[in-house]
Amino acid sequence: MSAQVLIFGALNGVGIGMIYFILSVGLTMIFGLMQFVNFAHGAFYMVSAYAAFAIAQWTGSVLPALLISPLLAAAFALASERLLLQRTYSLPHEAQILITFALAILAQESVTMIFGTLGKNVPVPEIFSGVVIFGGFVYPSYRLFVVGIAVAVALAMWLAIERTRFGAMVRAAAENAEMMGLLGFDSRKVFMAAFAFGGALAGLAGALAAPLRGVEPLMGREALAIAFVVVILGGLGSFSGALLAALLIGITQSLMSMIWPGGAHLMIYGVMTMILAFRPTGLMGRS
Amino acid sequence: MRNRREILAAAAVGIATPSLLRRAWAQQDAIEIGSLVSLSGTFANIGEQVDIGSKIAIDHYKTAAGRPLRYVQLDDQGDPGRAVRLTQDAIRDRGIRFFMNCTNSAIALAVAKEVASSGGVYINQAGADEMTGTLCNKNTFRWPVATYSAVNTTVRPFMKQFPDAKKWYTITGQYVFGDSLLKNLKDVLGELGGQHVGNSYHSLSDREYSGFITAAIAAQPDVLCICNFGSQTTDVLRQAVSFGMKRNTKIVVVWSTGLDQFQSLGPDICEGVYFGANYWHGVDAPGNRLLTGVIKDKLKVTPSYLLTAGWACTQATVEALNKAGSAEVPAVIKAFETLSYEGPTGLEKVRAEDHQVLKDYYLLLGKPKAKMLDKDDYVDVISAQKAFLPPDKTGCKL
Repeated sequence: MSAQVLIFGALNGVGIGMIYFILSVGLTMIFGLMQFVNFAHGAFYMVSAYAAFAIAQWTGSVLPALLISPLLAAAFALASERLLLQRTYSLPHEAQILITFALAILAQESVTMIFGTLGKNVPVPEIFSGVVIFGGFVYPSYRLFVVGIAVAVALAMWLAIERTRFGAMVRAAAENAEMMGLLGFDSRKVFMAAFAFGGALAGLAGALAAPLRGVEPLMGREALAIAFVVVILGGLGSFSGALLAALLIGITQSLMSMIWPGGAHLMIYGVMTMILAFRPTGLMGRS
Repeated sequence: MRNRREILAAAAVGIATPSLLRRAWAQQDAIEIGSLVSLSGTFANIGEQVDIGSKIAIDHYKTAAGRPLRYVQLDDQGDPGRAVRLTQDAIRDRGIRFFMNCTNSAIALAVAKEVASSGGVYINQAGADEMTGTLCNKNTFRWPVATYSAVNTTVRPFMKQFPDAKKWYTITGQYVFGDSLLKNLKDVLGELGGQHVGNSYHSLSDREYSGFITAAIAAQPDVLCICNFGSQTTDVLRQAVSFGMKRNTKIVVVWSTGLDQFQSLGPDICEGVYFGANYWHGVDAPGNRLLTGVIKDKLKVTPSYLLTAGWACTQATVEALNKAGSAEVPAVIKAFETLSYEGPTGLEKVRAEDHQVLKDYYLLLGKPKAKMLDKDDYVDVISAQKAFLPPDKTGCKL
């Protein structure tokens, strides 16, 4: 196998990694801030993808869905948090897992009842339907667009967390919510906003993924598995860790598809196991 | 005062009576047909459609061998172990002797063994060659074609049409079915002077295929051949097309489920792609006219392969019962073995030597959206052929 092919594989892996990043960043943010294990994250992703499908059917293009679907996912996340999940913050993680898992199944079965069990196609927007060719490397325009969005989201999140007053409040709440409350800030509102934002990020990932892979009821479950690998490998709650882990997994998966195709998926978990053996808290996690 | 033995005997009779009554009632009245379908779990999208197809067929035929038919749904949840337990319960508690359907080969092979040991009859849609090969049995029949037939009826006519398309790259599911497609493909390529320039295996859990596709592009093949099934087929094809592989490579999907996959891909992706399929609703045959008419009447949709597969197994069972004129298992097996009827793909015959239904397999070509006559007119039928291993080569010993 030539070096050029391996370089192409690595570049493709960066693209996969950025897609995984956008999928998992909301999950790691919610855990980092609230110490909350959200198994409904994949459901937000899936519901948003189906919303994108419906919008694309209605308007003829998925592009409006890139704005509307994340908002719908945020509304779904907010409603879940207000009506159900806020009551579980003081409960053990096991209870949170069970309740969010139930929420995910409810969402999955609801989507199945409305749209049926068969997968649906979401066409790639006309403007991004071609390919970009660099030398001998062919890359779909739409994937490049998704990577661009993911980079923009990463930059925007970094700026928001590190350079804004809201970001400072989020960091403070993550560090010590009780102390923040004593200083006169309402940490519940910060949690609520963060949960909705996490839902919106999952929703954005779902809307972006719909033209890449179509929509079907089990897509949330599959996405959740990858998101958890990224979050655990990156370090629970670490934004930069999620980015690093997503890129590492994307590149590993892409290169292994060429070197040892049968083990490409297996190696995602292999890399996770190896790194956790040396860094049990993940790449950027704190003990 | 009653002694302990009398009380125990009375209790035993009390426990057994409902089961005996049910069995007696079932035997004297309706013929019950157990249907193994996965209505939850990973294969629910398959099971639901097969279930609907069978129910509609039962509703249409209503009787067989002069007795009413009753459909008994057995939801195996995609679990072969559960499928076997449900089959055992249906045989023991309800006295059911006739079974049909499956959502994957593992379930079908497990149920086939169970039905054979209890002396029933089973017809299914398994893809694995073993069903009418080394693991065949006297009591089991299979409606769709085996992988040998699928490869030979798609790759041969394709290579005849494109003799210069010599270099083939494959993306294959690393499971028995995918391997079987790959092995048969290599045999045909070897025989016809094709060259297999590379293969990428993927696992059952893979959903991201861009790495495999990048490897395929690097090999610069004339043909990309996809050897897997279900949603993995649609995912590989969607991603291959998004990477521009249709520009300078022909794409062949050896095993597709037809309409439902085309609907989930959309016409732009299907255009110019060659698909192998067990069924296509546009085929002009009496059995297909009946099927499409009933499905459109009941569901207001065009029949897909999965709906048809449920219908076809039910129809074959009904035809065998009618030919036998009774619900006695040996008579029904005998009738099955010489059965010939107008099925969804035209005249379908059962081969006595391995219990395979001999039927057409189609090579389809995705047509441009502008040329679609209606919303389901995704493809043109390029060829319809029967190609089956000779009975002595299947490994089946009944």
